[in-house]
Amino acid sequence: MKSHFTRRGVGAIALVSAGVLLAGCTTGGEPAGDVTITVAIDAGLEQEARDNFDARVDLFEDANPGIKVEAQEYTWTATTFTADLAGGTLPHVFTIPFTDGRGLIAGGQIADISAEVAALPYADQFNPNVAQAGQAADGGQWAVPIAAYGQGLHYNRALFEAAGLDPDSPPTTWAQVREYADKIAEATGEAGYATMTAGNTGGWILTTLVDAFGGRTENADASAPTIDSPAVKEVLEFLKALRWEDDSMGSNFLYEWGTINQDFASGRIGMYVSGGGNYGNLVTQNALDPDDYGLAALPLQGSDPGLLGGGTLAAVSPNASDAEKAAAVKWIDFYYLAKLTDEATATQTAELAASLDQPVGAPELPIFNQEQFDSYRSWIEPSVNVPVDQMAPYTEAIFDQPLIPEPRVATQDVYALLDTVVQAVLTDQNADIAKLLADAQAQAQALYDRAGQ
Amino acid sequence: MTQIAPPTAPPTREAAAPLVRPARRRSGGVRAWATGDGPHILVFLIPLFVAFGVFSWWPIGRAVVMAFQRTNLVTAPTWVGWQNFENVLRDPLLGVAVGNTLTFAVLALLIGYPIPLVVAVLMSEVRRLRGLFSALAYLPVVIPPVVAALLWKFFYDASPTGVFNTLLGMLGIPKQPWLQDQLTAMPSLVLFATWSAAGGTVIIYLAALISVPPELYDAAEVDGAGIWRKVWHVTLPQLRGVLLVTFILQIIGTAQVFLEPFLFTGGGPANSTTTILLLIYKYAFQNSLGGDYGAATALSLMLAVVLALFSLLYFRLTRGWSTS
Amino acid sequence: MEHLVSTADTDRGILSSADWRRRRVRVSAGITHGILLVSLAVVGLGPILWLAKSAITPTQDTLRDPLALWPNGVDWANLAEAWSRVEIDRYFFNTVIIAAGVWLVQVVVATTAGYALSVLRPRYGKVLVGMVLGTLFVPNIVLLVPLYLTIINPPLLGQSLINTFWAVWLPAGANAFNVLLVMRFFDSLPREVFEAARMDGAGPYRTFWSIVLPMSKPIIGVVSVFAVIGAWKDFLWPLLVLKNPDLQPLSVRLPQLQQFIELDVFLAALAIATIIPIALFLVFQKLFLSGAGLSGAVKG
Repeated sequence: MKSHFTRRGVGAIALVSAGVLLAGCTTGGEPAGDVTITVAIDAGLEQEARDNFDARVDLFEDANPGIKVEAQEYTWTATTFTADLAGGTLPHVFTIPFTDGRGLIAGGQIADISAEVAALPYADQFNPNVAQAGQAADGGQWAVPIAAYGQGLHYNRALFEAAGLDPDSPPTTWAQVREYADKIAEATGEAGYATMTAGNTGGWILTTLVDAFGGRTENADASAPTIDSPAVKEVLEFLKALRWEDDSMGSNFLYEWGTINQDFASGRIGMYVSGGGNYGNLVTQNALDPDDYGLAALPLQGSDPGLLGGGTLAAVSPNASDAEKAAAVKWIDFYYLAKLTDEATATQTAELAASLDQPVGAPELPIFNQEQFDSYRSWIEPSVNVPVDQMAPYTEAIFDQPLIPEPRVATQDVYALLDTVVQAVLTDQNADIAKLLADAQAQAQALYDRAGQ
Repeated sequence: MTQIAPPTAPPTREAAAPLVRPARRRSGGVRAWATGDGPHILVFLIPLFVAFGVFSWWPIGRAVVMAFQRTNLVTAPTWVGWQNFENVLRDPLLGVAVGNTLTFAVLALLIGYPIPLVVAVLMSEVRRLRGLFSALAYLPVVIPPVVAALLWKFFYDASPTGVFNTLLGMLGIPKQPWLQDQLTAMPSLVLFATWSAAGGTVIIYLAALISVPPELYDAAEVDGAGIWRKVWHVTLPQLRGVLLVTFILQIIGTAQVFLEPFLFTGGGPANSTTTILLLIYKYAFQNSLGGDYGAATALSLMLAVVLALFSLLYFRLTRGWSTS
Repeated sequence: MEHLVSTADTDRGILSSADWRRRRVRVSAGITHGILLVSLAVVGLGPILWLAKSAITPTQDTLRDPLALWPNGVDWANLAEAWSRVEIDRYFFNTVIIAAGVWLVQVVVATTAGYALSVLRPRYGKVLVGMVLGTLFVPNIVLLVPLYLTIINPPLLGQSLINTFWAVWLPAGANAFNVLLVMRFFDSLPREVFEAARMDGAGPYRTFWSIVLPMSKPIIGVVSVFAVIGAWKDFLWPLLVLKNPDLQPLSVRLPQLQQFIELDVFLAALAIATIIPIALFLVFQKLFLSGAGLSGAVKG
């Protein structure tokens, strides 16, 4: 018994000392102060773009001796994020969409970098609507907004012409959208209007339309969903009319972000709602003819309509040490924000993109304020290669449209619920909208209750 | 993971003598074992122990444990008793998923069970070119399922210029919504699944058909049997063993259908093609910001228990029917 | 009962030679077989031929008039683009690597376990066989989540196996079907061979390597066919554990690619992905079909 105790005691002391030693090793002195961070880059970059990235990495490392940067191809996937986190395959710096920002912060699944971000020179100049997507409950900026956009109505100029419509006069009310969709469908046989419905995008676009119709899917203090509400019903009735009365929505309804872009680019869709910055994907990846592209602002109607905004945040892995977090924020500042805030970087980035035939100048929303945004646009002006005239109906109107953030609670899960609702309306002529909404409301309420715990 | 290993009846073990010479065996325990073949046997069993131990037995045990816990991969799991099972049973999607899976299984049986049999019977009578027939029948099985699914997804385009709709148009049949309608989505999936897998079943039946003893047919002819009666009284009974086994295998396989709904419709439209396996996948891997692994394992266990019970019942009932 | 010996009928089927001599039977059999052949060709070969045609057709033609034969000319560039831009060759190579590793792991596990359990016969053998058999009754889906967690955090290794080929190779070894197949085969080997080897002083390793393995070629062939086909078709598991696009096999990459490339290039990629298995099938046809038929014999 006595030897047993002694053995155990010695063992415990040994363990504790080992732990202390190890702890000292990691936080104490980094040998020669070298911190290595892994940063996310897009998959499938062309060689020139990759070379340019490497060149910028060199610049950064020169300016910050003691920090080494390694690139890792990484595409954010909400569904496998936790597994990536547990499995250690997350880079230190990665990007996430606005939609997931607050959820990740609430779950402590990204690092708290608010202190380091607050030290940045422009920390207090973020557009509040945009910044809130990456803020914790106490206002700390845990994720940095690096891009923002507003929803828009993309339309195909060629189909407009074929239907006898003026491609420079896109619809300005939802009644006109219906009318134009009908004309296009009748004249060309293609879908006059199409909408996403799958992979949580159905809920996303439904929320967009609800906001544009003057309603909301969440109440003011984000304590309960307002799915069973008149505006939502109105939007669903609108879709039902287009689908079953006018038959102007074509024959395919299980669209996601990528597949609707594909069909739009191949000329099978007249109009659809999506993020305002889709031009790049449409032209480079889906071979859309730039002359056929048109972008209009969403018609707004109702008592309190607004434009759903979205964007991208840069976040840091919660597994990062303090030194790594500091280095990560420096990288975010250098790589993501400098090309907006620093004239030389902005010009150079735009020139490189233009030389690679990447679209430059696709519509965006200001991350900071209007003034800074205008300066930024003037810097990249010489390299802009997108058809800005064809996007004028959008760019001229959106700054006057009130920007609405995405719903704050259980966003993706509520979107998934709404997917089913939209799919039901579009694939079942006798869908009972009232019942669908009541069910969705109940299920969403359960999600809100669970999140509130 | 590799393809599902279908359950089989235990192979009959011949009463062969073990390799160890009884004369050399001592009555002692460990020492005898250690100086005999014992350690060597263990060496040979190392791959089995590693493969099954780490990647089969341990995870099965863990699944049972996880079904009673709440796990989020970051913090330690907490015990929640039967909560996961309750949550799953109370999920309205469960009823939908079970119904859809049953629909798929029944439709697949109706279409996919008799057709390969008919084709195989016809093929067994082909004198020359049987190789050609076999190759054509098996060709769809050779194409990787993902490629075939993506191809058929395109075929199922519901617009008038979709491939299948164009074909139907040439025959004067109006265009079909295929995957875009809640009523036709599941049958479309079944059609694809049958096309993709029937060839394998045909070959299995064919092999069994060829091995039917010809004397039986001779005997039946002596008794005056025509072609149909020969088929009914000789062929089918001889195939009984194979038919029974393929039946249960098909049930178990279709109960776990995942690839078709996942690739074609993602469970839609409006959850009309959400199957049990898709639901499990959704619980575990499609929950943004963290999967509900407890619910996923709970549902997997429930499915496993149901299938096991069904198999046991099935084998018990059919024990006397097989000819082998 | 009296055995009717008919010299021309030793390999007869349902129809006897007397049946075949009747004109009606011959004609209707001929017609039926003709219809069957055409149906099989249309159903089995049709989609593949369409894919081959569309792989070199521009997108708009495929969309507007899918059954037409190149109304606006052939677009060979699709294939080149699929191969280079979409890098089908890399994903194909990954598929091959995965299949090779899976094959090796499965053959090693099955032969060593089969040898130990069937030939060496330890006393606890029955228990082990029972445990292996038991896993057959557990649907793969039960394993999905815990196996995933085991891969993230494997015992003794301390490092996640995610994004490595090991995550696909190692779990493939736990294939009870193969073990049982091999065991059954070894059971049927004559015991005298082993006794003779023992008399000559061969230990268990020698016996395995020089006697049993060479005799096992047929069953290894069957196991190999199953292993390679299984690995080629595998979709869900590689989807979960191989996140890095550089490592993904065709089955995982192709659906994701659809979001990123135009239709005609995508169809060309699908066509390339189909050619290899079909070519292998045509070359090794006998092996495929006998393997498929054997599985039925084993089950029956």
